[in-house]
Amino acid sequence: MQRLLALTIANLKSFTRDRAALFWTLAFPVVFVILFGTIFSGGGAAYELGWVDQDSSPTSAALREAFAANAPVELTDGTWEESKARMLSGDVDGILLIPKGLQAVIDAAQAGQHPDPVSVTIVTDPSRSNTALALQQIATGLVMAANLRLSGASPLLTVAPDSLQTNQLNSVSYFVPSILAMALMQLGIFASIPLVQQREKLILKRLNATPLPRWVLVGSNVLVRLVIAAVQTALILGIGVALLHVEILGDPLFIVGFVVLGALTFTSIGYVIASFARTEEAANGLTSVVQFPLMFLSGIFFPLEVLPSWLKSVATFMPLTYLGDALRQTMVGGTPFVPLPVDFAVLAGWLVVTLAISARFFRWQ
Amino acid sequence: MEMVGRAREDAVIAVEDVRKAYGDVQAVDGVSFQVAKGEIFGLLGPNGAGKTTTMEMIEGLHAPDSGEIRVLGMDVRRSATAIKSRVGVQLQTAALYPQLTVTELIELFGSFFGRRPATERLLQDLELTEKRDARTKTLSGGQQQRLSVALALVNDPEVVFLDEPTTGLDPAARQGLWAVIRRMQSEDRTILMTTHYMEEAEALCDRLAIMDHGKILDSGTVDDLIGRRFRERGVHFRRAGAPDKDKLEALPAVSRVVYEEDEVVLYTGDVPATIGGLLELTGRARTEPADLMVRRASLEDVFLDLTGRALRD
Repeated sequence: MQRLLALTIANLKSFTRDRAALFWTLAFPVVFVILFGTIFSGGGAAYELGWVDQDSSPTSAALREAFAANAPVELTDGTWEESKARMLSGDVDGILLIPKGLQAVIDAAQAGQHPDPVSVTIVTDPSRSNTALALQQIATGLVMAANLRLSGASPLLTVAPDSLQTNQLNSVSYFVPSILAMALMQLGIFASIPLVQQREKLILKRLNATPLPRWVLVGSNVLVRLVIAAVQTALILGIGVALLHVEILGDPLFIVGFVVLGALTFTSIGYVIASFARTEEAANGLTSVVQFPLMFLSGIFFPLEVLPSWLKSVATFMPLTYLGDALRQTMVGGTPFVPLPVDFAVLAGWLVVTLAISARFFRWQ
Repeated sequence: MEMVGRAREDAVIAVEDVRKAYGDVQAVDGVSFQVAKGEIFGLLGPNGAGKTTTMEMIEGLHAPDSGEIRVLGMDVRRSATAIKSRVGVQLQTAALYPQLTVTELIELFGSFFGRRPATERLLQDLELTEKRDARTKTLSGGQQQRLSVALALVNDPEVVFLDEPTTGLDPAARQGLWAVIRRMQSEDRTILMTTHYMEEAEALCDRLAIMDHGKILDSGTVDDLIGRRFRERGVHFRRAGAPDKDKLEALPAVSRVVYEEDEVVLYTGDVPATIGGLLELTGRARTEPADLMVRRASLEDVFLDLTGRALRD
């Protein structure tokens, strides 16, 4: 035990004194989280809407107030021509046009007549379908509400926005656990590189010439990885909660459990890489070969639903798919890809299989 | 003298007909020798002779294909851990843990043996006191080498294995390390070392074994090895302008004439008679032998005699 501790402290000292290693393992995921956090929460999804009021009446003013107060839009007043120019140059995302005669129709209706309805026009850019859809929905909703109010009917049905689990997970909540999963994956598979280095430089051989048991050597390497994993997790979650306002919903015990299991599984994959790579260059290459498909086909940067089905079936073999899924479920209540016990079973399965492979093929010299 | 008649159990290291092949290459091909307590025993030979493989099998780092190895009376295969805790090993290794300091590394290695090493003493003995707080990656080649010897001593071992301990060192650093090795011997440790330096083997080793192509060609003390085949001395001089071979062979007491790269060597049992005859011969031709020199045979000659080539190659 004392030997395990001494070796682990020595390894941690070595790690923290190596500035480059420190940067890549700790700063990199942090930069990633901040970067993605800013991109996906940037501007709070407000839409710029050109406001063209050709009626200039109490009703159009009331409508404007409703838009300004309720919808995530920022209004820019102008004439039709001005607004069109703004939209073409990208300054506004859409234009809402209130035609002349709006007040007249409403006055007539309130006087008991049945005039033809007037159309409020919402102009959007179909090439930006998400924005177009959002603006149309906002405009429709607000105009319908105005309609009801003006016709004096009290609303019988309303829509209360609420979220159940979360297909409505906002992007940041999706990314924070995903990036944690990615960081754990990299931490683990990059364990192969110091191992191969130590073997190439005959350090493993030198240690083997002492009575130090091998389990202490392996145990110490794993402990170091777990300590770094803990620091990474704290950093990523800390930033997620403090700066990006991600709400951590799950049971901390489950989160810790999956972080540990993930770190172990991917470290074990790192040992498999070190079992087959003879040189440091080979280890670097093999690590990339393993890393990139994992990164892009495991639902880290985008949900698996957007992948074509054959790629999706590739993703179902990736251990990172399940670590990301488990962390999203336990941390932010993400929609399950599979139930948690399945995530656990798949990760544990990968751990057992890769352990067996490295036990069989890992060479100390 | 060979250790004939000495009971094998007395030997600190006993190697019996050990073989090891890597693929088609027979790296070690039937090696046997014994090392007595307190001896410095050297394995001498060119790179690739099988010295390091032999030593690493004794250290328990590789299993031999066949044969038997006993260290401190224990079988290496069965008692590897017990042996490892009583021996010290220095390998041809680059920097271990480059980010740790000299002191940290010595104490780390001590912890592997479950003990606190005599760090101060080791630093002093290996002249590393000044560098105690330096990261090991900043050490010079000589300092690294001394550190790796220090690490071989953290457990106060009874047997020390040194693999080419002075390779790559300048002459002063080499002399310094020789002194350290002699001090180890005076502390009653047994030392097995490999080297491809003749002077080192002559200066340090009580006995040595000359290896080539995985076999021990001969073994014994330096005097044994030389005296066994060279009772004669060599008279060397420049080959350019030398008299003809038949005339040289006819000189008094000359047994053999050997042409080396740019030298002629006359092997003789009577140096004055041979040189007298040689000067007479060249005097008649109104020349004189250039760079005339008399040498006792060396380990180099022994190696040349055993293998037909020089060790330097």
